[in-house]
Amino acid sequence: MIKSSVLKIEIVTGDSRPIFKQIIDGIRLEIGTGRLSAGSKLPSYRGLAMQLMINPNTVAKAYNELSTECLIESKPGLGLFVATKQPQFNEAEQKEKLDKAIDNFINETISLNYSDEIMIGELKDSLKRLKKLKLA
Amino acid sequence: MSEFCIKTENLTKRFGNKSALNDFSLSIAKGGIHAIVGSNGAGKSTLFRLLLGIETPTSGYCSLLGEQSHSLSAKLRGKVGYVNEEHTLPDWMKVESVKSLQQSFYPNWNHNIYNQVVAYFDVDPKQKISALSRGERAGFNLSMALAQRPSLLILDEPTLGLDVVARQSFLEALMFAEINNEMTTIFCSHQMEEVERIAEDLIIMEKGRLTNHSSPDDFCARIHYWVADCDALHGKDNQIPGLLSRRIIEGQQHLLIVDQGMKFSKYLHACGAKNITQLPVSFEKAVNAFLTTNHKKPTNQLEQVLC
Repeated sequence: MIKSSVLKIEIVTGDSRPIFKQIIDGIRLEIGTGRLSAGSKLPSYRGLAMQLMINPNTVAKAYNELSTECLIESKPGLGLFVATKQPQFNEAEQKEKLDKAIDNFINETISLNYSDEIMIGELKDSLKRLKKLKLA
Repeated sequence: MSEFCIKTENLTKRFGNKSALNDFSLSIAKGGIHAIVGSNGAGKSTLFRLLLGIETPTSGYCSLLGEQSHSLSAKLRGKVGYVNEEHTLPDWMKVESVKSLQQSFYPNWNHNIYNQVVAYFDVDPKQKISALSRGERAGFNLSMALAQRPSLLILDEPTLGLDVVARQSFLEALMFAEINNEMTTIFCSHQMEEVERIAEDLIIMEKGRLTNHSSPDDFCARIHYWVADCDALHGKDNQIPGLLSRRIIEGQQHLLIVDQGMKFSKYLHACGAKNITQLPVSFEKAVNAFLTTNHKKPTNQLEQVLC
């Protein structure tokens, strides 16, 4: 039997995002950062529900949405896996996602006393590290 | 067999002049965990008493697992498990004797389920009931209720007064013990954190009426939080469509609104509001606002107000 990966995600109650959305965001982040690589097996509904202390049907709802987006795929009899072919976004979708991420970045950093040069430098370094991690 | 675990149609129950349930129609599908939320006196206990045939309705109809409530067979009653907040048990008896007694009433009793559930709690079978903590009592009651392999399990504020550890064990046992998958659980609670974690269906009762029946996420989508500069709203609370609560924070109006969608911003514009912002709402905030408001169906529909 293939062992499933441990998801480093946590949910909080009282958040404005419903729990299934928090799971989706958590898994997206795990995949995006490469901590969860293509082809890794995801925990079962029940397993993740037990880890997060929530109803297994909520996990099923999150997994269903990720399957619809083709981020994860089911292999009958084996379980759910991170899709080996990650979905490609068209140009408009890519731009929209980038704009949103830049907005978030600016919101978080605007009150910090860093010059533009330093922030851009840090960003470049992080991207370099991420690329190395993905190649490794 | 009925596809519904519970079905009521126009159910009304009056005690003298006071109506405890008013034209109450609710269908709960079989399976899953359904939360019933409502202030004290909303009619939850009356609903259960009517469903179990302990009280007779003033008018209307109710059925449980496909049988009419007023004529439930003994066999069907044996399929209903019930745990309330009091965890009433005979204090002078030992845990194992209470268990044996209970077991003798239920032909479907399953030892594996009992052992599995009771293991979540630190209950010594040789202990007297009087020596059990509140959490252990709750756990012992849940173990017995689940061992009966009920088709319907009613939990009436079962975690009230339990400490954090006992509460966690209770919810874990409820969600993850390998039990009858066909079981429908009805869970009444005032703890929104619990409801958010475990419920896949949210039923809200207020003053004997049903005011919400949907998934928790769909419920949240009914509620919006608006902030705006708008002095014109002062003293007009009964004209604001769908208003649940209005507060003034640092001169700005903070409004929680139900069932008006994004069109509410048009209403705010029409009232001359400036700096209109929409804020996210958590599940707990949405439910609390809904419950603390003397909530009525909004009489002023937005279209009427805007015209």
